[in-house]
Amino acid sequence: MKVTLTVNGKQYSQEVEPRTSLTHFLREMLNLTGTHIGCDTSSCGACTVILDGVAVKSCTVLAVQADGCEVTTIEGLAEGDHLHPIQEAFREHHGLQCGFCTPGMVMTAVDLLQKNPNPTEEEIRHGLEGNFCRCTGYHNIVKSIQHAAEKLNA
Amino acid sequence: MKITGEHLIEAPPEKVWQNILDPRVLEKITPGIKSLEELAPDHYKAVSEIKMGPVKGQFEGEFTIKDKTENKSCKIVLDQKSKIGNALAEINLELIPVSDTQTKVHYTGDARISGMLARMGQRLIGGVVKTLSKQFFEALQKEIEQ
Amino acid sequence: MGKFIGKSIKRKEDVRFLTGKGKYTDDIKLPGMTHAAFVRSPYAHAKINNINTAEALKAEGVVAIFTGQDECGNYGVPCGWQVNFKNGETMREPQQPLLAKGVVRYLGEAVAIVIAETLEQARDAAELVEVDYEELPAVTNPKEAMKEGAPLVHDEWPDNAAFDWCIGNDRAEVEKALENAHHVTELEYVNQRLAPNAIEPRSYIADYNAADDKWTLYTSTQNPHLIRLLLCAFALGIPEHKVRVVSYDVGGGFGSKIFHYTQEALLTWATKQIGRPIKWTADRSEAFLTDAHGRDHVVKAKMGFDKEGKIVALLADEYCAMGAYLSTFAPAIPTYLHGTLFQGLYTTPLIHLDVTAPFTHTVPVDAYRGAGRPEATYLLERLIETGAKEMGMDPAEIRFKNFIPPFDGVNQPGYQTQVALQYDSGNYAPVLKRALEMAGYEDFRKEQEEARKQGKLLGIGISTYIEACGIAPSAVVGALGARAGLYEAGEVRVQPTGKVSIYTGAHAHGQGHETTFAQIVADKLGIALEDVEIIHGDSERSAFGMGTYGSRSLAVGGSAIVKSIEKVLEKGAKIAAHKLEAAVEDLDYADGKWTVKGTDKSVSFGDVALTAYVPHDYPEGLEPGLDFSSFYDPANFTYPFGAHIAIVEVCPDTGKVTLKRFITCDDVGNVINPMIVDGQVHGGVVQGIGQALLEGVVYDENGQMISGSYMDYAMPRADDVPMIETDRTVTPCPHNPLGVKGAGEAGTIGSTPAVVNAVVDALWHLGIRDIPMPLTPARVWEAMNAAKA
Repeated sequence: MKVTLTVNGKQYSQEVEPRTSLTHFLREMLNLTGTHIGCDTSSCGACTVILDGVAVKSCTVLAVQADGCEVTTIEGLAEGDHLHPIQEAFREHHGLQCGFCTPGMVMTAVDLLQKNPNPTEEEIRHGLEGNFCRCTGYHNIVKSIQHAAEKLNA
Repeated sequence: MKITGEHLIEAPPEKVWQNILDPRVLEKITPGIKSLEELAPDHYKAVSEIKMGPVKGQFEGEFTIKDKTENKSCKIVLDQKSKIGNALAEINLELIPVSDTQTKVHYTGDARISGMLARMGQRLIGGVVKTLSKQFFEALQKEIEQ
Repeated sequence: MGKFIGKSIKRKEDVRFLTGKGKYTDDIKLPGMTHAAFVRSPYAHAKINNINTAEALKAEGVVAIFTGQDECGNYGVPCGWQVNFKNGETMREPQQPLLAKGVVRYLGEAVAIVIAETLEQARDAAELVEVDYEELPAVTNPKEAMKEGAPLVHDEWPDNAAFDWCIGNDRAEVEKALENAHHVTELEYVNQRLAPNAIEPRSYIADYNAADDKWTLYTSTQNPHLIRLLLCAFALGIPEHKVRVVSYDVGGGFGSKIFHYTQEALLTWATKQIGRPIKWTADRSEAFLTDAHGRDHVVKAKMGFDKEGKIVALLADEYCAMGAYLSTFAPAIPTYLHGTLFQGLYTTPLIHLDVTAPFTHTVPVDAYRGAGRPEATYLLERLIETGAKEMGMDPAEIRFKNFIPPFDGVNQPGYQTQVALQYDSGNYAPVLKRALEMAGYEDFRKEQEEARKQGKLLGIGISTYIEACGIAPSAVVGALGARAGLYEAGEVRVQPTGKVSIYTGAHAHGQGHETTFAQIVADKLGIALEDVEIIHGDSERSAFGMGTYGSRSLAVGGSAIVKSIEKVLEKGAKIAAHKLEAAVEDLDYADGKWTVKGTDKSVSFGDVALTAYVPHDYPEGLEPGLDFSSFYDPANFTYPFGAHIAIVEVCPDTGKVTLKRFITCDDVGNVINPMIVDGQVHGGVVQGIGQALLEGVVYDENGQMISGSYMDYAMPRADDVPMIETDRTVTPCPHNPLGVKGAGEAGTIGSTPAVVNAVVDALWHLGIRDIPMPLTPARVWEAMNAAKA
């Protein structure tokens, strides 16, 4: 089946098998390997991308479902050398260690702060429920998002 | 894991017995069953498709009815294999007459499952067995009424 | 403190991770690369009667299928640590085959590998492989495995023991002291089996190049050189110089990526057979089934006290599961990394531990964050806390009473324990004092009292810990059965322009070495941080190193780099002296330049570097160049310590535990980057909390794993934990040049018993003394219900 998607502002048309997941499409067909796979039950959130403005776990979206949609992945977030304020906050506040869950965390944070620009700590933690991190204990991820919120609201 | 339960059928034990031991009926009323082929008396080859929570698989294997005491009790032995894991079950069925038109079917047994089926499905199996047996007995009731 | 050392410098590696440019093994694609899928046993123990690959071989895209009947079935991966029986009998060491041969011994053991053009084709074809199994009885619990008549994991031995072991004082003497003790506290529990769950699943690509008869193995490992050694010298018997092992970015390890796994060797063997690269990446189910697990100790322990609450004796018996085969470091975990920590921070005069390590029909058990030390701390801290409460003493007070007095390892000697180790330096009371202060301990007791009147169940739990890390002196670990040295390599290559490349044998998978190591180098050389590059993870670039685990990178790997830096400065001084026409003794080195003392005559590091590589005007007899390589083998382990406090609230209706606060005061020696150390502590603490409240691998009685996905295995999530309140004291390590001790595992080692102690504290007045981990709402609720009855 043929799908046409806009990924990080660029249009791609490709033949895919109906069973191809969006994660597979991004990683294997477009070589956008920043989107990671950490599980097979849609639990870990490492594959989170923004699909038409909403964060989705790309492992549970089929490429064909995303036909005609706009996708933003971690590779498309920074503007040139300028990190997105959320990326910058993660760097500033040590919101990552091994970096594997990071793309999913950042994309989830983008969605979270879009929906709720002034989240409480509790709301941030609740919003990150679908993303696992085994390194940071979430402490600095929550802190990063708090600081990003402040910056984005300034 | 242990499987136990009971169901009240509006029919005398003889009628229930007759239906349960009829392969054509079984093929019709057993949930998920795709085909039932008689290999020998009381010994069948069954192909079924069962969904257990997040896992779904096509099962293939044998199905034997043993230790029959007419109109009273029997034992069903299931040995089913699939790509998502295998299931081995022994279930004792007992038909207890409640009145002239009612029979209580009591079942108790032990099931062992393996592979992905066990890993992903074990915590759900109790619920799945309940649902499937309810469907089975409801279909049996309908079959008897026809 | 220098310009960089001791500062929270932002990490150099972050930008690539934050922009999706990290290079994890699964991100790599090679031309002509094939993909592998495994056929795995659905049984914990079964005889393989037949494997039929005919249908699968016909499937679209299939390149090759191998089983244990092929040549690869003759190879196996080795164990890297030997622990013999107490009676001197050699450790029982079965070969861990690359593919099962005739028998499968744990659920998920690989029976066949299917290699195809695409991953989907490999997986589809794997489903067509027909295996005829005959299921056999299995045993998964280590204590059950030692019972008479238990199913045998390996038929060649009369029982399931891989080895048994003991440490400490004479058992009879310890038992006598317990008989005479004023009070004895006894606990029986299971330190449950955990799945490590690095978020990046294990991933390997093996690539054989016939043109130069060389292999490259890309692997998600914590120690590329060690893998190369085990792979070449022990698993496959291929020449080591013909194999390059590369491990770029690794998405978390926590121990699980130390070990040499069968898949690494099998792919390396198979790539030569098919003449093409092969990739395999575990999916999460496979990770649960095949990553080496952690913990799984069945424990019975006693602690004896005198009237004042001083510990007089400690005795423990443990059954520690090894799994079906001995993984790389498995025998060391419940022994030398466990029993040697039974002294804890206390002056206990008599200690004895007996360990039996049986094979079980489960995936192998090996090091998982903390590795043996969390289990030791759990035992000590649950016992001392319970003992205090049983005797009506304050749990903080009893610890102060038992602490070893301060010693710095310089003016006072190290502390000789009853269990072989000699602690380097320690000052234990201040960490607990500070943690209690942060927690507001006194006020909390009043708050708890008030809350109880309103039907609320609050609890506070303390844990203090010590760990042996920076693992460690090769001679010592060799004497204890390690089949490898445990030094580290550090090479400094000064480029002609004065830029510096550092090649380390340590490996970063989240620890931030590219930043901390650069901080050290930039400070020692007085150059800019940007002028230093840290290179790791490639066996063909760095000198032979031992990798990263056991909180060793900074203490051992950092020290190796410091040694090389010292050599650079020594040689540089000779070149500088020549250029300045002065004697070496008259030079000072500071801020990146050599200055003649008392003058303004100086030459910069960059100038000296250039001269070293363009030696036109050069000291006579001195070699050109400014590269140095060093190996550092420490004099001892390092011994970080600390105190953790958990404050919990237990819901009286549902048993749900809410962790309200978590406080740590750790002492990891000198700190290079406080931000990174805090991050290590946060993550470690949450892993320990995970064990206390959420996690556990469960096998049913047939050896089926019923916790094999993220829907069944409870990982700590962001809303399960509070912010972690951290502080530190600093007691430098006296025996390494940086004075550092190690921080990677501290959090995990200290936190678990603090949480359990807190929950038991909340419920003590109901008569509850212990609840098995993980303390799920169901278990807490059951305990409360049982207490009511």
